[in-house]
Amino acid sequence: MTDDTTDPTTDDGEQDRPTSGEPQESADPVAEKPRESVDSVAEEPRESVDSVAEESAGGDELVAEEPPGPYVESPIIMATVRIITPFVFTLGLFVMFHGADSSGGGFQGGVIVGTVVLMLGIAFGIEVTREWIGPRLPVGLVAVGVLVFLTIGVGSVLLGGDFLEYEEYGIHHASKYGIELVELAIGLIVAGIVTGLFFVIAGGMADSEGDLA
Amino acid sequence: MTTPIEAGLLVFVLACGVAAALLRDVLASIIAFSAYSLGIAIIWVFLRAPDVGLTEAAVGAGIMTVLFLLTIAKTVRPAGERTFERVDVRALGVAVALVAVLSTTLFALPAVGAADSAVATDAVTEHYLENAYDETEVKNAVTAVLAAYRGFDTLGEAVVVYAAGVGLLVVLKKEAFE
Amino acid sequence: MIEAVADRVYYLVAILLLGIGTYMMIGNRNLVKKVIGMNVFQTGIFLFLIVTAYVTDASPPLLTAPEPHVSPLPHVLILTAIVVGVSLTAVALGLIVRIYDEYGTLDEDAIRELVADE
Repeated sequence: MTDDTTDPTTDDGEQDRPTSGEPQESADPVAEKPRESVDSVAEEPRESVDSVAEESAGGDELVAEEPPGPYVESPIIMATVRIITPFVFTLGLFVMFHGADSSGGGFQGGVIVGTVVLMLGIAFGIEVTREWIGPRLPVGLVAVGVLVFLTIGVGSVLLGGDFLEYEEYGIHHASKYGIELVELAIGLIVAGIVTGLFFVIAGGMADSEGDLA
Repeated sequence: MTTPIEAGLLVFVLACGVAAALLRDVLASIIAFSAYSLGIAIIWVFLRAPDVGLTEAAVGAGIMTVLFLLTIAKTVRPAGERTFERVDVRALGVAVALVAVLSTTLFALPAVGAADSAVATDAVTEHYLENAYDETEVKNAVTAVLAAYRGFDTLGEAVVVYAAGVGLLVVLKKEAFE
Repeated sequence: MIEAVADRVYYLVAILLLGIGTYMMIGNRNLVKKVIGMNVFQTGIFLFLIVTAYVTDASPPLLTAPEPHVSPLPHVLILTAIVVGVSLTAVALGLIVRIYDEYGTLDEDAIRELVADE
């Protein structure tokens, strides 16, 4: 009835899977159908959850074979990400802090910091990264960011001036520090949202069975 | 006049856009869109907009590509033998009509980069450029306008981003980020 | 006349991008490609606005660079618009995941048939 069927010829996933000869992990009562051996190497118990999780993602009843999920275990990607993650994080913070005097600012820096979590998720598995980040950190970052911004803005109204009038605060160089703080707050908001969006879309529907690795 | 590099970039951007429209495989379309976004980011730098270029490169070629790839990993990817789609004639007619109607206004616009265009000689622009450092003590005029002169818009934008996160949770019926 | 068009080639490219975006939103049947078309349309609009701010041989709107500067106002507008655009795309993609969960397909005609059958 539909033109779009699950594509069994996932050639992009096949090439960088060095462990396709491993016996498959079928430690899960949900998966009854015979499945192709998927990519995760079962070194730790949590990896078996990933392998089953990938198989049930994107499953279509019309096709017998399941495509592997987006997570492929690639030592090159893992090694590269391990090395460059601290530098990308530092770059993100640099761009955030230097928004006042050169190009950059809160949005750009926040997106770059959010990209760090995306890279970790792609390299090591989305489910694993989500457990490491925890459910409260993205929400906390966004809430703190919005609160700081609103406090700085409304605070100057309470002190008698206009919205976001930094001069009302009376601190020396109030405008510069106020703008820096606002940029940091915006960076927190954007980083938290980018991380949260990634995990929410990867999680899919709340009552779907599988999950992306 | 546009230099050859800029002309080449514009042709590249248009080619990537047409490729994204006509390729049948959604994954190929996403990759074409990512290349398109990179080309656009370089055009921003040529047009003396480094802040916008940074944002476009980080957002368009970074975050959006990952979100698109996640979506087709959660759903389907159409399989087939044809590389290019069949062109839908009615949609093509609508698009051509839109381009034709908008092109008639082309000669009413000032030349690109004219120093006497309405935006460049605006009183508000000159006020911001002259007084940004004195009033806000930052050297980046874009940050000064964003965080000080037009701070209310930035608050609205932060709230829109926040609302998008909440809206996504509602759409996917989740309780929290878990 | 050729001189006039050659001076305004950026506007022409922006209009062509609007055309490509419109075609993708209407003519492509896959929902994800429609969202890509929306993004192409948005970047076409951004190109139009940033080109209006451009002054030849001027410097970026950083006050450490020599005079004259390009106008910073459209840049601020576009920064906001890019971030709003990514939020819009994220919610649209979430809706697509939900639609796939309900109907099992991402093809526009198939979904229309399924909705009409209900």
